[in-house]
This record gives sequence, C-alpha cells and structure tokens, in this order.
Amino acid sequence: MRPIIRWTLQQRKSSIIWWCVGIIFFVFLTLVFYPTINSQSAQLNKSFDQIPQTAKQLFTDTSDLFSPIGYLSSQIFYLMMPLILGVLAISLGASLVGKEEHDTTIELLLARPISRTKLLLGKSLAGLAVVLIVGGTSIIFTAVMCRLVGLEVAVMYILEAGLLATLLALSLGVVAFMLTALGRAGRAAGIGLAAAFALGGYILASLSSSITWLRWPAKIFPFNYYHSSELLSGNYNWANAIYFVAVIVACLVISWLAFRRRDLLGS
Amino acid sequence: MADVAIFSEGLSKRYPGTDFLALNKLDLSIKTGEVYGFLGPNGAGKSTTIRLLMNFIQPTAGHAQILGQNIVTDSVAIKRQVGYLAGEIALYPKMTGRQFLDYMSDLQPPKNKAYVNQLAKRFQANLNVKIRDLSKGNRQKIGLLQAFMHQPKILILDEPTSGLDPLMQEEFFKLLKETTAAGGSVFVSSHNLAEVQRMCDRVGFIREGRLITEQSMAEIAAAAARTFTITFEGAPPRAELAAIPGAKVKLSGSGQVNVSLRGELSPLFKVLAKHKVAGIDQQELNLEEEFLHFYRAKDSKK
Repeated sequence: MRPIIRWTLQQRKSSIIWWCVGIIFFVFLTLVFYPTINSQSAQLNKSFDQIPQTAKQLFTDTSDLFSPIGYLSSQIFYLMMPLILGVLAISLGASLVGKEEHDTTIELLLARPISRTKLLLGKSLAGLAVVLIVGGTSIIFTAVMCRLVGLEVAVMYILEAGLLATLLALSLGVVAFMLTALGRAGRAAGIGLAAAFALGGYILASLSSSITWLRWPAKIFPFNYYHSSELLSGNYNWANAIYFVAVIVACLVISWLAFRRRDLLGS
Repeated sequence: MADVAIFSEGLSKRYPGTDFLALNKLDLSIKTGEVYGFLGPNGAGKSTTIRLLMNFIQPTAGHAQILGQNIVTDSVAIKRQVGYLAGEIALYPKMTGRQFLDYMSDLQPPKNKAYVNQLAKRFQANLNVKIRDLSKGNRQKIGLLQAFMHQPKILILDEPTSGLDPLMQEEFFKLLKETTAAGGSVFVSSHNLAEVQRMCDRVGFIREGRLITEQSMAEIAAAAARTFTITFEGAPPRAELAAIPGAKVKLSGSGQVNVSLRGELSPLFKVLAKHKVAGIDQQELNLEEEFLHFYRAKDSKK
C-alpha cells in the first residue's frame, strides 16, 4: 500500500505545489488589505447594513463583517477556503481511482500482488495527504498573515476553523470518490454530483436561517454543520464535526463494498 | 492437475445490460511449459478471457484456476506468479521508463534487480525519456519489461509484439523460449498469425464467445492445406489438377502453377507422374490461410 501512496503523491507533486502557491496567493491578497479596510470599518458596516439579511447570509454568518473575526470569517473561512479546498478534494476524489480506471493504468496496478482493498485505501490515504498538505499550508499561512496585518484572532481558533474547513472539503471529496468507485457514473458525474452536493448544500444551509422550511433538508448537507464565525470565536459545538467524520467513513465503506468485486471499466 | 498452469471450466461472462454471453462456457487446460495461442476475430471474447483470468472482471458462471489457485478468491497470490501485458498498453505518460519500472518494482519487488537492467539492455529500451515522448514500439518494450521483470511463472500477453521492429520481435521470441525452458507457461492472444505460428505449441480458436476448437501446431500442420509451386515443361494440366479433391489451382507464370491441397497427396502425384515436371517447391504452413479457412468454413455452415 505504501508504494501506492508514495507514487500517487509523487505523480501529483507539481499539482500540490501549485495548489499551495494559489491558496497562499489568495490568503495574501485577502488579508494584506485588512489594515486599510479596518480603518474604514464604520463606514463599510453602514453600507453593509443596507443589504437584506437573506442576501448577507450567502457570504457571511456574522453581522459584524469588519471585526477581526467577521472579516476572517466572511473573506476566508465562510466560503472561500472550504470552496477552494472542496474543489481540490472533489477533483482528487474523482480522479484518484477514476482517472486510473479511465486510462486503464489501474490494470497495471492490479496486475501486481495488491488487493483492491489496499489499492483503494492507498489511493484514499494519498488523497487525504494532498488535502491535508494544501489545507495545512493555507491554515499556517493564514495564521502568519493575521499576525503580520494585526488581525487579532486566536491562533488556536484559526487552526480549528482551518481544520474544519479541511474536514468539510474531505467530506465533499469522498462523495466524488465514492461515486467513481461505484463505477457506473464515471469521473464527470462524480465531479458534477459532488459539486452539486457542495454548492446546493451551501445555498440551502445559508438560506435556512431565513427560510424555515429549508432547515430540515439543509441538515443533509455539510455546510449546515460548518459555522466559521463560531469556530473563530471559540463557540463551535464540536459535536457537529461528527457529521463530517460519519460522511467520510460511510462513503469510504460504500466505496470499498462496491469496488472490491466489481468489473473494471474496459479499455 | 499438478502440471496444469491455467485451467477453466464453464467460464462465462455476460456484461451488465447485454443479453448475450461475451464468453460462453470456456473450458481451458494449459500445461506447464506450454505456449498457448488464443486466436479469434475482434469481439470474439479474447480480451474478456484475459480480463477474467486477471480478475479485472468477475465471471458470470464457471470458474478458473491459475497454478491451482482460484482466479477470484486467490487473485493476489496468483499475481505473484503472473506477468501481464495488455493489448493497448496504457502507461503513465509523465513518468520516465525508469520511474515507471521503479513504481512496478515497489509494488512487486523483482527476484533479481539486475535482471531488470539486463532486460532493458536486451530490448534497447530507453528508460530515461518520458513515456509520452516514446514511440509505440518503445512503449511496448517498457510494457514487456514490466511483464517479465519479476520472472513470472505464467505470462498472460495480449498482442505482445505489436509495434516492435523485427529485431526486437526476435529478441522477444528468444525471451519467451527462455521462459518456457525454465518451466514458464504463456497464454497469448494475438491477431498476428505469423507470430502465433512462430511461438505457440497449441492454438485455441474462439468465436462469438465460444472456444470452437483447439489444435496443436503439429495437428494444424497435418490438417492444413499444403501449397506446392510446380513448374511444368510445357503447359500445366490445369483441368486435371483442379479435378483433384480438395485442390485449388492458380496459374503463377508460364508453365507454373500453385496447387493448394487439403487431404491426400497421392492424387496429385498421380497427375504429376503423367506430365514432365521441371520443379516442385513446398511452401511453409500458412496459419493465416488456415485461420481464414477455418472461419469461412464456419460461416458457410451458418
């Protein structure tokens, strides 16, 4: 199994580096202007108050958009970081096994004495490692940038928010992984359905505080259990994180059950 | 069963969403040290058989064993003894040949590390170039190296010489001989009939998922049409020759005919005895002709 992890990471080395560069660039651009924005926060909050509550909830979960926690939540952790890491996790989830199967290189691997279970486990651990590397880089860089620009949020809370954003991204990635492991849908459908699960869930979860009947369907989706401003202020109920772990475990078990005995796609 | 390398009984496969069997009750028994050729037109079931043996797809019915182990339940153990080459080999284009072989070696450490380099040298494989920059023939060499590098007891090869130049084909045949001399067995699927003729001990003909017949090369040679090029002093007795049962006659020059004869030779020599013959040559067995004859005969029976 170790060679699968090592060589999968080796194959994705340059992609990992560019994802890290991209996310660092995003965090840098977002936070470097914080001192300027902070100096105009009173004026900006006034303008922000004009926006209807329902619309506000699409891009933040706090009423004070320009406080340290409000800014960090709305600009990085509420949507963008989970979205960026989610795109990475979904594309990985759909391609780790899906691309190998589509290109038929999976036959080269399974022609060796390695079980499908180990192949699947090796690929999923490699995917986990990629998301953790990129997620970890973004969390560390965010914490450093916050210090540099004087954005005062406890480092521990930044780490916790980053960890949960990464966990949320992983829960989206395993959905794509499961759909490709099932074999019938294919990579494109894996990406599409996982993206719909992510974005649909985000919209439902965002609107559910204003539209009461959306509260129940919103509970199916991961964004319902992710509250960045609560995380950044240390008020997050970590029992919510069980949802992410449950989704990840359930999708991996379904992937394993489906993949261990099914026909590989032909060349 | 001790000397049986590959065995199958009633092995069948129906793909989901289809109402026909892609492979229909295949019974195979390939001995240790044997090179078995699997011949058939496109879609006959050759690749399905290989993919079943490799446990890439699951049988609908029947069972098969490789070296006495079940292809489904003991697949991992079987792969320790098997070298596999796919028909349209897909490699990792961004890796160099060396990186790719290192990857395969990590998954299945070779018994003798130096052997990999020896093979690369024999096949003049350039391992330092990215696979995407290699020609088809050079990619095929890498494919052969990964199949042979761990010195497997069983080789399952689909179109192994595809893209190789004649020198490399020669090298491949030598390697195959060495493998079988060391007790290895080979299951080879091919469209290249000259290649099959060259390397196989026995051939199975498959069509529409059914194994129609199996024959050793010696049996094929005995039953095959023998072709003679006969030069007469004067006009060839074409009508007499054409009247011989099982004979096909073709003029090939002034005073020269090609006679292709299936069955008894004595009627031919009776005709020749009545005429002045300047020369007679027998051509080598043409498996391609046999292959076409075989399938045409089946077609006409339909």
